[in-house]
Amino acid sequence: MRLQALRRLILTLPVLLMVFPAAAGVNDIDRLRTDASRITSLSADFVQKKSMKILSAPLVSTGKFFYAAPDSIRWEYVKPIRSIVISDKGNSKRYIASGGKMIEDKTGGAQAMKIVLDEVAGWMKGNFTANPTFTASVREGPETQIILTPAGKNMAGLIEKIEITVSRRDAVVKTVRIVESASAETRIDFLHAVVNQPLPPGTFQDIP
Amino acid sequence: MNVRLLPILCLLLASCSSLPEIRTLPDAAGKTTCPSPFVVQKTRFLHAMEAAAAGETRTVMIGVTVADPASRTLACALMSPEGMVLFEASRNSSGMEISRALPPFDSSDFARGLLDDIGLIFFEPPEPVERLGVLDTGLTVCRRRLRDGGWLDVGKDRDGRVQIRRYSEGGRLKRSVTLAGGADPYAAIDLQAWEWTGYSLSMTLIESEILPDEARSGK
Repeated sequence: MRLQALRRLILTLPVLLMVFPAAAGVNDIDRLRTDASRITSLSADFVQKKSMKILSAPLVSTGKFFYAAPDSIRWEYVKPIRSIVISDKGNSKRYIASGGKMIEDKTGGAQAMKIVLDEVAGWMKGNFTANPTFTASVREGPETQIILTPAGKNMAGLIEKIEITVSRRDAVVKTVRIVESASAETRIDFLHAVVNQPLPPGTFQDIP
Repeated sequence: MNVRLLPILCLLLASCSSLPEIRTLPDAAGKTTCPSPFVVQKTRFLHAMEAAAAGETRTVMIGVTVADPASRTLACALMSPEGMVLFEASRNSSGMEISRALPPFDSSDFARGLLDDIGLIFFEPPEPVERLGVLDTGLTVCRRRLRDGGWLDVGKDRDGRVQIRRYSEGGRLKRSVTLAGGADPYAAIDLQAWEWTGYSLSMTLIESEILPDEARSGK
């Protein structure tokens, strides 16, 4: 249950990031919900930095994120290990790099991903409060911060809080910081976000 | 042949086998040295790890290992490609400490087995070499009798790859490790486990880093 909650959280973060720009500068969760529902497609690069005690320097991962309404998602890590999760028309598949090619992950984890991505699609349509795992609050300052805190005990020992920082000046989300403990956190920076533009053909098709 | 039967057949063959004979080389004394690929300084390794069972890739992870040969302490973490920490544990002279273990990595047997495997790969065995010679396969090996029971062969094949093989007391092959040839033996690691549930790990180096020795630097 806790693992599923953590997977759900990790997969929904990019979506959270991308829906906030349109609502930057306001502190109203309902407004965020309304703005999220206007997104028909988006794409972005991301840089993820994982810090933990065993690492002297953060582990840097890079990749791309794509969404098309109502429920198509592609979340692709390029480095250091290539992995792709695709959810489209009710089907979800996970691909991992093995022996120089991408192979489908047929473990139970792929099915867990379907549950996660279905929920992500719901969020993309503005259903932010449908997930009882977190409560959201907004903090105004030089930059706007959306703070998600675990609502129950499911995330106990896994996640302390999530901070999403939005620039007040240009209404662009800058970072997401997932604090797991005093010595472990994940920071994701989204770059080159493009909203409501056509996506490359085959973005959500199976990997041959 | 059904590939799923392969590990079972291998297990049966392995269980029937005995410790391979070593032929002593007439000119071995003073001329042949034992390969020692093991870490000599505290080092952090980051590997892409592919785990397989029954001949099929089951999952791919990122593995972080910190090995300190002076104190023989180990720390390791397993992460999903997405960066989720699935397992984190360490072992020193006081024992094993598991910081995080999410299913299916939440059994103490898994933690112990993983740390044993990592120790086998990175640490030089403390036991002295008992025999040095050549196997029927032509592999030159150094054989140690392990304190905890069983035997350990370390050899180098014709391609320069180091082979580490751990046997039970009765000579059954339990682990087989092949390290990359060339300058960095830890650039590619293949481990085969010959247990009732056999598995394999293929590790490809992402990066490594020599770490300061905290004991000597006084930190």
